[in-house]
Amino acid sequence: MQRLEGVAILLCAVRVLIVEDETKVAKALREGLEAEHYEVRVASTGEEGFFLVHHESFDLVVLDLMLPRRDGLEVLTTLRKRGLQTPVLILTAKDTVDDRVHGLDSGADDYLIKPFAFPELLARIRALLRRGRPDQILKLQQDDLAMDLVTRKVVRAGESLELTVREFEMLEYLLRHAGHVVSREMLARDVWRVTARATPLDNVIDVTIARLRRKIDDPFATKLLHTVRGVGFALRSERG
Amino acid sequence: MRVLAPSVRARLTLWHAGVLALVICIFSAGILLFVRARLYRALDQQIGDDLATIEKVYREETGDLGELAHRMGITRFQVVEGGTILYQTPGWPPAGTTPYRLGTLADASHRITAARDETALRQTLWTLAVILAMGVPCAIGLAIGGGYFLAGRMLSPVGAMAETARRITAASLTKRLPVEHPQDEFGQLATVFNDTLSRLEAAFAQLRRFTADASHELRTPLTAIRSVGEVALQRSLSAPGYREVIGSMLEEVDRLTRLVESLLTLTRGESGRIQPTLEIVNLSGLAVSVVEHLRVLAEEKEQSLAIDVAAEVSAKCDPAILRLGLINVLDNAIKYTPGRGTIRVGVRETSSGEAAIEVEDTGLGISAVHHGRIFERFYRVDQGRSRESGGTGLGLATARWAVEANGGRIELESEEGKGSLFRIVLSTLAREPLVGT
Repeated sequence: MQRLEGVAILLCAVRVLIVEDETKVAKALREGLEAEHYEVRVASTGEEGFFLVHHESFDLVVLDLMLPRRDGLEVLTTLRKRGLQTPVLILTAKDTVDDRVHGLDSGADDYLIKPFAFPELLARIRALLRRGRPDQILKLQQDDLAMDLVTRKVVRAGESLELTVREFEMLEYLLRHAGHVVSREMLARDVWRVTARATPLDNVIDVTIARLRRKIDDPFATKLLHTVRGVGFALRSERG
Repeated sequence: MRVLAPSVRARLTLWHAGVLALVICIFSAGILLFVRARLYRALDQQIGDDLATIEKVYREETGDLGELAHRMGITRFQVVEGGTILYQTPGWPPAGTTPYRLGTLADASHRITAARDETALRQTLWTLAVILAMGVPCAIGLAIGGGYFLAGRMLSPVGAMAETARRITAASLTKRLPVEHPQDEFGQLATVFNDTLSRLEAAFAQLRRFTADASHELRTPLTAIRSVGEVALQRSLSAPGYREVIGSMLEEVDRLTRLVESLLTLTRGESGRIQPTLEIVNLSGLAVSVVEHLRVLAEEKEQSLAIDVAAEVSAKCDPAILRLGLINVLDNAIKYTPGRGTIRVGVRETSSGEAAIEVEDTGLGISAVHHGRIFERFYRVDQGRSRESGGTGLGLATARWAVEANGGRIELESEEGKGSLFRIVLSTLAREPLVGT
């Protein structure tokens, strides 16, 4: 299944425009996205981004708000006024509620606050590209681990597993992002639904991961839940 | 250009002198009018007596009017009967430079007019006026001088205070104003000023400590990132080795991010830029949800985490902020209670009608010397151990802000070795929250 998706992406490469003036960040984003088989163009000023959007077609724009000469929000507002439909993800260091509301009002589809975790950026991009397509998944699967979202049963190698509500939600989230790294911030926000980033949740997340691992991995030879040190967790086959 | 405002001393003197001048002028005018009226009344009385005598002589014809005139000396008069002048003293009517006052007594048959010299009277009045006219400016002058002197005397503490205050800077906040008479207005002012200085000094000291602590806390992960990176560059590692190094660096980045995040929240909160949205919150429900949230941590340490919710207790507060506060308090309790310890979370109404959320543990306890500062940012009872356990050192500071932003207070009862009791006390009534202190 992984492989099929990869082929599909290669056949019609998804084009992403990154508008970011910080060279290091832009380079990291380009390399990271290219590793995920996206076709990436980088603009380092608002003007350049504006020009590229007009002359080429993109499936997604990642827009930094603090740009030299031409402010990101201004670029976005102008683009939306001219009828641009492409989803736009804004990157910003301003994280007050007002800033976020302002950004979304100007026509952004999503926002990410700097410093962000790269896996999270990937997840947001995937979500934005998926948008509009019906998401009627009733079953999730990774190797011999299967989750039924209707009966809320989890089975590995034919063996039924007892999970707490939180463990179930966490596994569901990991399965939905199977093959990709999930950061602690993503888990805190999407599984625990804690928006205040100052909340001490990391220990809770680590303990829950450890317990989940005890249930889904410890009795089995193949390990599925992996810790990516310093980044987060990933659910994937050991070889991947 | 702004017109220079006169000094308080000058203004005080001017007001004082002005009021005094007004009073003296009114008073002098009163005296002058009163004396004038009295003198004229006396003169008129004399003229009346003269008229009566003249009439008596005229009616009884017992005497000669001429002799009467002679005997009465200075008195001048005229008697007219039926249109003809019966008698008049020589030099009638009085004319010339000498002022006279006239009096008349008349009936159908005759009319008697008498006059008296009023030079003496006018002179008396004039003398009085001169005395007053010379006295008033002297009195006002004296008032100005005296007032200026007195105002200077009274205001001298202000000058001294200003001089001392001018010499106080951020570096010399230990200086205090002298308080001579603590009861009078200036004494009170100086006391208030000194209190402000004390608070400022404490705030500055806290800020200095905070800056030192913050730079230390921020440098620790930075140092780790740097040394891990530098050491890794000097060696040739395998791909998994580099992975390990980068992971280790990212862990420190994560720590830095968390630290900055917490500091930002706290700074924004304390400067009042996070406005609480107040609503009626069921504290019991909130406590239960927070306990369930952190239960895994207690279970992992085999601690018993009990929740003791007597009845439904509600308070008006911002649930998200209060939740953040309670999570930090409970997280702290779990962290500093050894394995197999007991933690109890209770929600109740106090005897004084306030709502209280208590977090009691059988942990290490906090010695009384730390009680005053335990809620300060980066304050740690045991430097090494606390950082080892992964805390940012901002948990309790965040908790205190979260509670105070909701108009409540956070209390600590603890003895070393006997566990701690943190109590979040909130008003059950709708009271204005105190944002920032």
